[in-house]
Amino acid sequence: MKLPFEDHFGLGPGELRRVLDASLARGGDFAEIFLEYRLYHFVLMEEDIIKETSESVSLGLGIRVCQGEKTGYGFTNDLSAEKILQTAASAAAIAEAGPAGKTADWGSNGLPPPDVYLVREPAHESDLAAKIALVQEAYAACQAASPAVKKVKSALQDQVQYLTVANSEGRFVSDVRPLLKLTCVAIAEKGEVREYGFSGSGGRVGLEHFRDVLTPRAVGADAAREALLLLEARDAPAGEMPVVLSPGHAGVLIHEAVGHLVEADFNRKRTSVFWNKMGERVGSSLVTIYDDPTIPGSRGSYAVDDEGTVPGKTALVDRGILVGLLQDKLSARLMGRTPTGHGRRQDYTDFPIPRMANTFIAAGEDDPADIIRSVQKGLYADRFTGGQVEDSGKFTFSVSSGYLIEGGRLTAPVKQATLIGTNIDILQKVDRVGSDLAFGQQTGTCGKEGQDVPVTDGCPTLRISGMTVGGRE
Amino acid sequence: MSAPRASDELLALAEDLVRFARRAGADEVEVGIGEGTEFSVDVRLGEIENLVQAGSRSLGLRLIKDKKTAYATSSDLARGTLEDLIRRAVQRTELAQADACAGLPEPTGPVPDSAGLDLYDPAVLALPAEAKIKAAKEAELMALADPRIVNSHGASFSTHEGRSILANSNGFLGQYAKTYASLSLSLQAGETDDLVEDFWFSSGVRLADLETPEALARTAVARTVRHLHPRKLETGRLPVVFEPLAASGILGFLFSCVSGMAVYQRASFLADKLGQSVGNGLVTVIDDGLLPGRLGSSPFDSEGVPTRKTVVLDRGILRSFLCNAYAARKLGLAATGNADGGGVGPNNFYLAPGPDSAEDVIRSCDRGLLVVRTLGHGLNPVNGDISQGVFGLFIEGGEIAHPVSEVTISGNLGELLRNVERVGRDLEFRGSVSSPTVKIAELQVAGLEKS
Repeated sequence: MKLPFEDHFGLGPGELRRVLDASLARGGDFAEIFLEYRLYHFVLMEEDIIKETSESVSLGLGIRVCQGEKTGYGFTNDLSAEKILQTAASAAAIAEAGPAGKTADWGSNGLPPPDVYLVREPAHESDLAAKIALVQEAYAACQAASPAVKKVKSALQDQVQYLTVANSEGRFVSDVRPLLKLTCVAIAEKGEVREYGFSGSGGRVGLEHFRDVLTPRAVGADAAREALLLLEARDAPAGEMPVVLSPGHAGVLIHEAVGHLVEADFNRKRTSVFWNKMGERVGSSLVTIYDDPTIPGSRGSYAVDDEGTVPGKTALVDRGILVGLLQDKLSARLMGRTPTGHGRRQDYTDFPIPRMANTFIAAGEDDPADIIRSVQKGLYADRFTGGQVEDSGKFTFSVSSGYLIEGGRLTAPVKQATLIGTNIDILQKVDRVGSDLAFGQQTGTCGKEGQDVPVTDGCPTLRISGMTVGGRE
Repeated sequence: MSAPRASDELLALAEDLVRFARRAGADEVEVGIGEGTEFSVDVRLGEIENLVQAGSRSLGLRLIKDKKTAYATSSDLARGTLEDLIRRAVQRTELAQADACAGLPEPTGPVPDSAGLDLYDPAVLALPAEAKIKAAKEAELMALADPRIVNSHGASFSTHEGRSILANSNGFLGQYAKTYASLSLSLQAGETDDLVEDFWFSSGVRLADLETPEALARTAVARTVRHLHPRKLETGRLPVVFEPLAASGILGFLFSCVSGMAVYQRASFLADKLGQSVGNGLVTVIDDGLLPGRLGSSPFDSEGVPTRKTVVLDRGILRSFLCNAYAARKLGLAATGNADGGGVGPNNFYLAPGPDSAEDVIRSCDRGLLVVRTLGHGLNPVNGDISQGVFGLFIEGGEIAHPVSEVTISGNLGELLRNVERVGRDLEFRGSVSSPTVKIAELQVAGLEKS
């Protein structure tokens, strides 16, 4: 089968085999070549005009050689035969002199069924004018929300990533990944007070998403809503208190508190606080967590991961017990486990490492309204700007807007606050889980070791019995 | 020894593409090309973990036609790909809308070169891979020899050397070469369920700028073990001292608030404050692209505007915003040589040092919090609000008393700048944003409820 982008590389299966054999010339357990061709488009509207458009072409390949726990990596975007062989030699430098390896016959071939991509109108094949219309619609809705909205910025980004992975074990597979994102930022002012609101939508979807699922108008209005709400907001409280997390957006808590620490590399290296807790209790019995890279249309999804493994829904925590890790090929081999399809890389300049895709805490049985009613005095954390964790389990996540809970009711809106905790402690304190599982805005990006990849996370309404809130009152 | 020049082939390509784009209908054109090689080795527990060696090239274009702008980038330097990109970019300008401020910067005379800036150290490229691997291994093994260090995220030695070329339709053709080297080490101490971690790094343009593996290991160990056995703090208001690395984080936040892009977008709380007092007399902040041998230096920015020294805050008075040509036109100010891609970036952006040693600053606190590292994203340039998790040490009677954990600080950058009480003399340039130790008179600290 002819690959959709073979022409860009001039490398057929025969040439790829020769490059892999050259990569194993000094020995090594495993060699892999990753070919990538990516097209990206960007439209920006600001100050009432379509201010700029941009197009990017990314073309290159990376070669990896593994021996034991060692990885050698080289990449190039000069695709001459000489440079490619030089790249193979760079990757091979890691191997101790040993018998040359040989590439197995290609087993599978071609493209896996792209069920995870929900695309009828591919953005990369659409007219720029159609994309500009979406950006203008979001912009206008945001601006129209109130005269207090003083500045609006609306942008559409779309990309298509063609990739092929071929390795010495006989794996030869390609994928074509779409990705679409519409974002809107509102800045609202009232006297001396100036606040910022954000909203967005997208995923592994086509432009029809913005007609059928969530309109640009709704995205623009939502950004304005948050900025206007914050104009009326007071400072968040400071200190330890019960916290209720909103469904969907608060999935960032699970991403930070659990997701990173179940990445297999940190457990193999025993730096994660979870490394010796497989099969043990790490959270309350209400906490069940999965990562599923196969959710159709979701921003974190893919048909194969960046080392050619077909991914599956992976259970990480089952009713409070740690049951699984996010595995790539290297960690799985060294730990005697099976890859789960979580080996991802930002692009051809990076080797793959274990990463999250779509991480979520499973729905519970509580009525979300009851959960709010159960809190006398606390914080309802509604929207988030991100989080960070270290391997010891200390993590933060930043609330961009929320509400006070007083006497079981949401009362005053509150501004930005950072919440901080230690993961096992906080997971034990999850004492109510709602039935309303939802996912966040399909705009998220996760960074690890300098590599950014698209992800989503999700959760139902959750109550944490006590957590430190870094507000100012 | 002088730095190597870019190949004639790449210089010719840049000039050729400018001409091609003009013929394709662009009024103004800018072509930037970067090429370089990189090396990095990660070692962990005494063994090589990852070894990366690569070379790459990339190209960026900006076209303006009838005051309408289109951008393109490519890592594929095939002539056909680039000509197609240019033709499509010219077409895309039709769909953008005219913007009176769009356009290249006005020509500014002779093209500056990097002579005297000392940005290229041939020793970086000449150092054999074996020597880099050995330095990383030595640093890590010395740290692991300390019984309190229980695990390691590894040590890394990274180098980069590359050339930047810029050509535009105003006749600008400039180039410079730059090197970078860094050595870093990240460690864990403590019991499995009570782990603490920290890191240390050293980086510079010159190989000789790097700390020895031994010095690096000593600092990384000391920074890690001082977090052992933390306690929580009571919620309240306290004097807060930021160590240089943590203070640099706050200064980076200040940069995002004085960026001309944020200012014209009204996305900065300092937008209306030019010429006003926004900090106290201890706060002088400078951006300087001409410091010899510094990582943030270059002869010209990504639009070809010569870099310079800009006083941003002068003893608390906001004197300048940092602008690319676009933001400068929007605001009626001068471009400051801070263009970075389509936006604005720091050159060497730093807080001018004060008279005190770091020890004196700590001794000035009866009770206080020493912030050594922050965790999280709670920095909002629109209103200046800060809310971050911190790793730090509690100060009692002018001495370090114990580490603290699960603590946040919150406040507002405007409040911080007005309440700077002491500035240390320990300014070091480890990246493009640098700060000495800084003491803030009082900030909200959240932890446990008062008992």
